Amino acid sequence: MATAQTSLPLPVLPEGWSAPSDFKAIGVLSTPNQRNLEPVGPHFLAHARRKRHKRTFSEDER
Amino acid sequence: MTVEENNGVDPEETLAIGISFGNSNSGIAYTTAEGKAEVIANEEGDRQIPSILSYIGGEEFHGTQAKAQLVRNSQNTVAYFRDYIGKEFESIDPTPCHASAHPQKHDSTVSFSIQDVGADSPHDVSVSEITTRHIRRLASSASDYLGKKVNATVITVPTNFSDAQKEALSKSASSAGVDLLQVIPEPVSAVLAYDARPESKISDKLVVVADFGGTRSDVAVIASRGGMYSILSTAHDYSLGGAQLDNVLIDHFAKEFLKKNKSSSDPRSSPRGLAKLRLEAEATKRALSIGATASLSVESLSDGLDFSSTINRTRYEMLASKVFASFTKLIEEAVRKAELDVLDINEVILSGGTSHTPRIAANLSSLFPPTTTVLSPSTSATAINPSDLAARGAAIQASLIQEFEKEDIEQSSHPMVTVTPHLSRAIGVLVVSENVEKGVFRPLAEAETGVPLRRAGEFAVPRDGGDVIIKICEGISHIKVSKPPAKPKGEKKTNGKAASDDEDDLSDEDESEDEPEDVREKAWKVGNVLAETTIKGVKKGGKVEISVTVNADLTVLVTAREVGGKAGNGVRGRLEKPQVTENGSA
Ligand SMILES: Nc1ncnc2c1ncn2[C@@H]1O[C@H](COP(=O)(O)OP(=O)(O)OP(=O)(O)O)[C@@H](O)[C@H]1O
Ligand SMILES: [Mg+2]
Repeated sequence: MATAQTSLPLPVLPEGWSAPSDFKAIGVLSTPNQRNLEPVGPHFLAHARRKRHKRTFSEDER
Repeated sequence: MTVEENNGVDPEETLAIGISFGNSNSGIAYTTAEGKAEVIANEEGDRQIPSILSYIGGEEFHGTQAKAQLVRNSQNTVAYFRDYIGKEFESIDPTPCHASAHPQKHDSTVSFSIQDVGADSPHDVSVSEITTRHIRRLASSASDYLGKKVNATVITVPTNFSDAQKEALSKSASSAGVDLLQVIPEPVSAVLAYDARPESKISDKLVVVADFGGTRSDVAVIASRGGMYSILSTAHDYSLGGAQLDNVLIDHFAKEFLKKNKSSSDPRSSPRGLAKLRLEAEATKRALSIGATASLSVESLSDGLDFSSTINRTRYEMLASKVFASFTKLIEEAVRKAELDVLDINEVILSGGTSHTPRIAANLSSLFPPTTTVLSPSTSATAINPSDLAARGAAIQASLIQEFEKEDIEQSSHPMVTVTPHLSRAIGVLVVSENVEKGVFRPLAEAETGVPLRRAGEFAVPRDGGDVIIKICEGISHIKVSKPPAKPKGEKKTNGKAASDDEDDLSDEDESEDEPEDVREKAWKVGNVLAETTIKGVKKGGKVEISVTVNADLTVLVTAREVGGKAGNGVRGRLEKPQVTENGSA
């Protein structure tokens, strides 16, 4: 997919912000919904191939 | 999918086509060597082939020729049978067949009593056998056209076709010498038909597929995420379709006829008169989708009297306004069931024969905001013929899987592979301010995206560049309602005024006279903050690329880097998966 472009600027880093390796893990995802992906189309077939072979995105890249 | 590895060494030589199989019509399509889906016209030149078989004088008629037999040979003509496949007699609605061979109980299924080829009296022919004959005719038309034997297919059916029905359909197909590789939902096939066009850009969007057919109408709300599709809701109406519009015209013309021929009997009171009127009214209705007026003429309509008349589109739209409103209502119902608002819908795909009707599309254009694309012949120059959509999508799917082993197709369609956690909230980035009250949420991954997923975006930085904070948050979409800027009080809204209003160009003025409506717009609320990170020393006018990956186990990987920056200036971090109670919905 095309990379989305955002023209509004990222905020300035607040004074005194610091974290090991510059990364703070703060929360976790909200509980997801279990749903059915329709087994149709080229993108699903790529998903199914990855899932069945337990591959990640980068391992799957050609 | 990817480039074919010239392995034309298949011993079986599978040639698969797509079939859309409706109660009213069927379509056949194939995918060209260039990957383009094309609908095939049968020997009679029809691309919409009536799903009808008729027997007369020891001969089988199919399609349009069989449909013509509804006038003189209705009891030996089998029509509108698709929904009966794989069902018990007790659970079917026989209404659509009142003017053709009647469905009846037959063991655990449905049959029709007809005198077919080689029979010298009427006998029971099961709906499975009728389906086999229909598929055989469709496959044979496709084989003739392609010059090669078609031996496999992908067929589209409604979203609520049961497993038993799919099983029965598969058996009927193999009895016709056609291997049913996969059964796919009609609305998903329609979305695929659009996405498979070379000019299409895959994006994240919410799509309403409105399939308005002959005897029924079905709507599905689909989350389309990176070319993968999840059905969020469906709505069905089994007494709404083109037949209801035909009825409006039948009643109109029957009354006109009786006005001219005061002493004649009502043409609707004889089965033959009604059947003739029905066939011609349908043709008139189709003509009204293109022209401003259309005519109807029937020889010997009633008491031997011929009849001809014309009707203009305005009149038709007035007479049918109630039926038209029902199509809109069905869409509203599906959107509501998905707990969404019309403002959330990015695209409306109009599918099915009745979707050619300009008024239906116009009504939808006013139901949805101007930002929603309504894909129909009268609202979009690039729309695909709505009658072709399901067959085209099926042809694409057929070409994707025809080389696969049967087992691979089955495994890929198994819930182990298809049932997947979908984000319940969007994941995005705060821009402008890092204060969750003041910042603006910009989504990277939308809610209802299945995992694993990866989305990336490029973000501007403050004018002088420098150190920026990247705050990854969840976003909750909601509808913000506000009063419009104060204006002198208008009159109270008068309902029902628009219904009697014939002129298109008046309706806009009508609205502006009404009390100003509340302004409704889509807005984001910031939910959980997931992570914070930073990129330091971004150059003036620079950009930061941020990506979010949600793995299958729901751990999250965040990366950020300055676009074009030095290698190694980026950051990456990981989030643990949420603590889910194991007995949660699965
Ligand atoms: N150009 C047109 N304008 C208006 N209506 C049309 C047009 N073309 C076809 N129709 C109507 O579309 C209906 C058939 O639609 P379609 O072929 O999608 O049905 P189907 O899915 O086979 O039927 P069903 O809903 O009975 O399962 C008929 O009522 C037909 O008159
Ligand atoms: Mg249909």
